[in-house]
Amino acid sequence: MAARVTQVDREAVRRSTGALGVAATLRGLRVTSRHFIRNLWGWMVGKPQVRTVMVPEEEDPKPAAFRGMPVLVALDSGKERCVACGLCEWACPVDCIHIEPGETVDEVERYPRVFDIDMGRCMYCGLCEEACPEEAIVMSARVDISAFSRAGLLWHKDQLLTPASQLARRLAYIREDYGRR
Amino acid sequence: MVGESQTAGQGDEAAAQHPLLRALAGRFGARVLGTHAWRGDVSAVIEAGALLEVARFLRDGGEAGFDMLLDVTAVDYLGRAPRFEVVYHLVATTSGARIRLKVPLDGAEPALPSLVSVWPGANWLERETFDMYGIRFEAHPDLRRIYLYDEFEGHPLRKDYPKQKRQPLIGPGSRAESGSTR
Amino acid sequence: MNRKVIEAGRDVLDLPSDALELKLGPSHPATHGTVRILLQLDGERIRKAEVEVGYLHRGFEKECESGQYYQVFPYTDRLNYVSPMINNVGYALACEKLFDLKTPERCQFLRVIASEASRIADHLTCLGACSLELGAFTAFLYAVEARESAWDILDAMCGARVTTNYVRIGGLSHDTDPSFPELARHKLADVARLQKDFEDLLLGNPIFRERMEGTGMLPAPELIALGVTGPVLRAAGVPYDLRRLAPYLVYDRLDFDVPVGGAGDNMDRFLVRTEEIRQSARMIEQCLARLPGGPVDIDDPLIRLPGKGKVFGRMEELIGQFKVVTEGPKPPPGEVYFAVEGGTGELGFYLVSDGTGKPVKCRARSPSFSNTQALSRMVEGSLLADVIPTFDMINMIGGECDR
Repeated sequence: MAARVTQVDREAVRRSTGALGVAATLRGLRVTSRHFIRNLWGWMVGKPQVRTVMVPEEEDPKPAAFRGMPVLVALDSGKERCVACGLCEWACPVDCIHIEPGETVDEVERYPRVFDIDMGRCMYCGLCEEACPEEAIVMSARVDISAFSRAGLLWHKDQLLTPASQLARRLAYIREDYGRR
Repeated sequence: MVGESQTAGQGDEAAAQHPLLRALAGRFGARVLGTHAWRGDVSAVIEAGALLEVARFLRDGGEAGFDMLLDVTAVDYLGRAPRFEVVYHLVATTSGARIRLKVPLDGAEPALPSLVSVWPGANWLERETFDMYGIRFEAHPDLRRIYLYDEFEGHPLRKDYPKQKRQPLIGPGSRAESGSTR
Repeated sequence: MNRKVIEAGRDVLDLPSDALELKLGPSHPATHGTVRILLQLDGERIRKAEVEVGYLHRGFEKECESGQYYQVFPYTDRLNYVSPMINNVGYALACEKLFDLKTPERCQFLRVIASEASRIADHLTCLGACSLELGAFTAFLYAVEARESAWDILDAMCGARVTTNYVRIGGLSHDTDPSFPELARHKLADVARLQKDFEDLLLGNPIFRERMEGTGMLPAPELIALGVTGPVLRAAGVPYDLRRLAPYLVYDRLDFDVPVGGAGDNMDRFLVRTEEIRQSARMIEQCLARLPGGPVDIDDPLIRLPGKGKVFGRMEELIGQFKVVTEGPKPPPGEVYFAVEGGTGELGFYLVSDGTGKPVKCRARSPSFSNTQALSRMVEGSLLADVIPTFDMINMIGGECDR
């Protein structure tokens, strides 16, 4: 179990060229032809071997751990889970979250009167999700944030609110880690 | 000194044991202002005037042979005297031994000798330190800003430089150039 | 034509000539990365080369100094953006040295897997881009497809390919899936298959060899004096690899080779990288075979956030959550330097703490910066065309060089 120092083999490279480079040319042709035939066959039988995904016509497969833009989880009543504690605002390294708390007669007593995320600043790091003690802000799978102006990149509370049913995959993923520590 | 007094007690005994630091203190006497070893890192605080001699000794004189200068940077301890500390990290590429050199500098016009003559690799690193902290390296062959443009005002990594500070626009399209009020 | 006319012609053509100044970059199709090289040419020969960096400077250190220790991680992703996990790991290890922590076994193995998968991606990007800029477009596509597979490994770990933000002080943001080892093995097989095609296509090629062999050489002592590390230094025959010289994590328990070259020309640098990809794959396979169970995080609520399951139900953990997020973990006062073997060389982090939750100084010693400095010495006196393979083999990553 140790690291050994070895010498790279330049001689093998020199040999592989062959006289006048004929061997190298033939080998190159073999490699490219194999790729061509493999890709062509894959296309003909409808099982493409290439990795290209025709976004947006095709859905780009995303892993379970994927982090898209942060959104607010909505309760069944349509209200937010957020209690405006401000931890995500603290944790955000780029200060893209702005919260103004308000009081409510509900049992949670506090709610965010204003909850803005500047998507032009957000870097999808997920620290807000980690800091949230209420499972109220989570990273969705959405990445389509394009807008025609900078003002269009400022997302307000009503735009951010997303029903929990649409976030089921992410919620299940983060809940896996709940009991670990 | 903050860096020294903070780690005092934890690191001083270990430093007294370390053969390299002992050799440095023995050879340069009072010009080595202090030594400490903490978390396995070995440091020596030296006078600016002794820097070149210490550097040459570490490269050629000792057993370790610190042939590579890894990093030059500075730390701004605003509100304490001396304000700046220039930090050098050295490594011996054969044994992997490391040492950190620190040179305390006054805040008014901080300057110290350049190490380009000892390790040519110091060139860009010293330019960067000059760019970010405004510390002058004497006898540096080409002491210009490296990351920022020449018209930049101030030195951004100094603690009294506000993070949100804006710089005047320069070049084509700026107000001074085109006369427009953007 | 008689002799007189020829001589007169020579007189006319033999004008006193100034050096031609050529500005290569900052956005040049044959240089990946935003950098400007000011060349003074005497015909095809380079008299003087001056490299200008800084086009991607974003104030990494200033941003780090204004945030908590845990808020630095997303910024480290953006240092060397082709091997972000190594930066994550390097910064976390520097913090752990400062806090004096030891992470669980499983976490260390996963960190090695993440680092080595990143190294594969880093080297494949470098080699692929090099072949592209020397005219071998197909080889570039194979390398990038292989890199895609290496990134799939990272993707499965952290959900992102570039902006990973996976490692935390004292642990990892998430544990991996039980299906992860199988997926990783499958992807490594993909990498190996495509790498073989890539090498078959390129290495023996006479044009490629002409461009790479005997260009960009510097003797090893000069490279060392210039502060060059990583594959460029190893190609010159110096076995300076921190995984061997000062093993961190579990590298001392793994079996691997450190390939070195002899001449130190661009061909050696290329071959060192291709061999390192194979060694990294070997290391990942060893780690997967021996991946232990258990937790990935240390059990210290003052440093690592408590599990959400506890935060939701218990007051003490909820207070802990608030304290860790708002004040951040607080290290003892002092300073540490910790270096890991990055994709391009020694990546070091120098942290100075005054006992509060924010670093007084958070410095990244970037290998690209020192390596790029050596570029002008490597190309001076050679031909103009040699700048491209030399620059490619130095593998300057703008985000890391300019910070």
